[in-house]
Amino acid sequence: MRILLVEDEVPIQSFLQRSLEEAGFQVDIAPDGKTAEQLAVDAAYELLIVDLGLPDMDGLDLIDHLRRMGVRAPVLILSARRSVDDRVRGLEQGGDDYLTKPFAFAELLARLRNLLKRNAPSVSESTRLRVQDLELDLLRREATRAGQILPLTTQEFVLLEYLCRNAGRVVTRSMILDKVWGMRIQPDTNVVDVHIYRLRGKVDGKGMQPLIRTLRGVGYVLKDR
Amino acid sequence: MFSKTDKGFRSAAWRITAWAAVAYAIGTLFVFFSLHRFVARDIQRRSDAWLSGEVEVLGDVAQRTPKDSLYQRVVEEVAELASREVPNRDETEAPDTAAVFFLERDTNNAIQVWVGPGKSADVAHAIHQSVVRQDKPSDISIAGFSIPYRVAMARLEDGSTVYLGLSERDQLRVLANLRNQFLVVWALVVLLGCAIVFSATRRMLNHVRRISEAASRIGHSDLCERVPVSKRGDEVSHLATTLNKMLDRIEETIHQLHTITDSLAHDLRSPLTAIRGKLELSLSMEDVEEQQDAIIASIEELDRLTVFLNTTLDVAEARADALRLNKSAIDLCDLIQNMIDLYEPSMTERGLLIRYENDGPSFIHADPSLIHRMLANLFDNELTHLPDSRTILVRVRNESQSVNLSFEDNGPGFSEDVISSIFAKRIRGRNSQGHGLGLAFVDAVVRAHNGTVSAFNRDTGGACISIILPVTHAR
Repeated sequence: MRILLVEDEVPIQSFLQRSLEEAGFQVDIAPDGKTAEQLAVDAAYELLIVDLGLPDMDGLDLIDHLRRMGVRAPVLILSARRSVDDRVRGLEQGGDDYLTKPFAFAELLARLRNLLKRNAPSVSESTRLRVQDLELDLLRREATRAGQILPLTTQEFVLLEYLCRNAGRVVTRSMILDKVWGMRIQPDTNVVDVHIYRLRGKVDGKGMQPLIRTLRGVGYVLKDR
Repeated sequence: MFSKTDKGFRSAAWRITAWAAVAYAIGTLFVFFSLHRFVARDIQRRSDAWLSGEVEVLGDVAQRTPKDSLYQRVVEEVAELASREVPNRDETEAPDTAAVFFLERDTNNAIQVWVGPGKSADVAHAIHQSVVRQDKPSDISIAGFSIPYRVAMARLEDGSTVYLGLSERDQLRVLANLRNQFLVVWALVVLLGCAIVFSATRRMLNHVRRISEAASRIGHSDLCERVPVSKRGDEVSHLATTLNKMLDRIEETIHQLHTITDSLAHDLRSPLTAIRGKLELSLSMEDVEEQQDAIIASIEELDRLTVFLNTTLDVAEARADALRLNKSAIDLCDLIQNMIDLYEPSMTERGLLIRYENDGPSFIHADPSLIHRMLANLFDNELTHLPDSRTILVRVRNESQSVNLSFEDNGPGFSEDVISSIFAKRIRGRNSQGHGLGLAFVDAVVRAHNGTVSAFNRDTGGACISIILPVTHAR
């Protein structure tokens, strides 16, 4: 999968390129808007990562240009600004996404995959999710592990569903807060950890192989093998 | 630095003066023409009165004087005497009879007595040509005279007629004098008026120029300077006052900005030093696990630093009234339920009980992400400061114009040294683990939404934070 990374700052460039290539993407780099325009026309990219503060033009203008030139690939916008301006909001509604710096790479990866999935032809939604011996029935809102029904609250079920949908991938605390509770907040306290701890108590019973793993400093991952 | 002969600077005083001069000249001319008309009529009336009176006297004399050989002499003498008292006569000139003529005709229109300049036949012809009425003198042009005569007529009992003519020469001279004098006065008055208008506008515009010069100096370098304010209290001094107020505000904002950058630099330094130290230490560690611990701790510290940075900037922006809000309708009641769902496990962990009272949906028009973060701060605050096994009561009340939100607990309450400045920046209670910005952020968000927030200790013990947010509807 080919990705075009439009970013002028070398440290971020190299760190993103390395991490993305490790995650299995093929990455081309454009250090400014002009190069980006040339590259985007020459090659068909499946996704673009665009930094808003480019040396030669505004990132949003670049996206406008590319759209007018017929580039249809979804865009992940990187912004160093704190507040998200209305144009970014507009793009977000148009199917693109944004991330403010600094960000956890896990979150960037998750948003990237989301964008690619959104653009792919939709596969008919399954009503069941299965990760190893854990099974979720989305219609009956029931979770079983090794055939045993887990006594989950509604909220715990939603949380587990989110982890299952991202099985094998790292999810950060702020991603969980965003997707499960619908809030982009960063609490001072360990509220998310307590939820995960409780969920783990129910999912990973005694003598079972633990499924929910904590990656300290990053987030959580539901092991899929 | 700035001279009056600045090429880019063209005074509007000249333009204003030119317009004022035109208006002034036209106005005074109009006044003069009315005056001139009035004076001309009055002179006419006076000479008419003189003529009518004199022709009657002369007629009387002619009638009473016996028609003998002396008759002509007597009437001529009287007529000559009369001609010396003509109205509007120039006193400096020698009396002359050229201004007056006297003519008596008998019933057959034959000339009996003639006193005056020119030929009697011409006069008789001119009188014959026009109609001279007995009740009112009229103008008659006589051949050989460029200036017309005003002629009055009287009919005697024997049927003969007497005519008395007065040249309009003196009358016209008076009016000409009047016009000449007016021209001089008019020119002087217009010049004086222009001078006054010019100096007045120039003075005012000079003041404006000084203001603009000061403003430009301030724009270039010194923000502490202020534009000069005159004591007159007119529009110009009002402009200066307004400008100064604006400058005060700008200076204050910049001052705030300096304070923020200074304190930010200060606040960032120690955590950055700690992170750097930890990472440096991890380089020399043999144990991989230990090394990882240090790195993870650094990442967590960096995350906290990011949150702190964002919050500080938000608080600063809100204080400077520069926080950008993306408002939409949100149900506070529902939102708090959501928050409680998020925080309840953590609360239970600490043995804290949370109770929620509400009046059903409470819609406010506000920035969702700021309100989310504000509520998270309030819950974090309770979670970090309340001792174990206490109860928190969250209440949402719907008023007609506002939504009242309160957080009450039965903990030890705020300590005396903290309560007065609880919403100020970086206040931490004892044993506080937070960055000390939580309540400052709450205060900033509430203010940005035109609400009020207060913190106090309840009579029955425990702390209470009360927030009132106005219900503003989307247009």
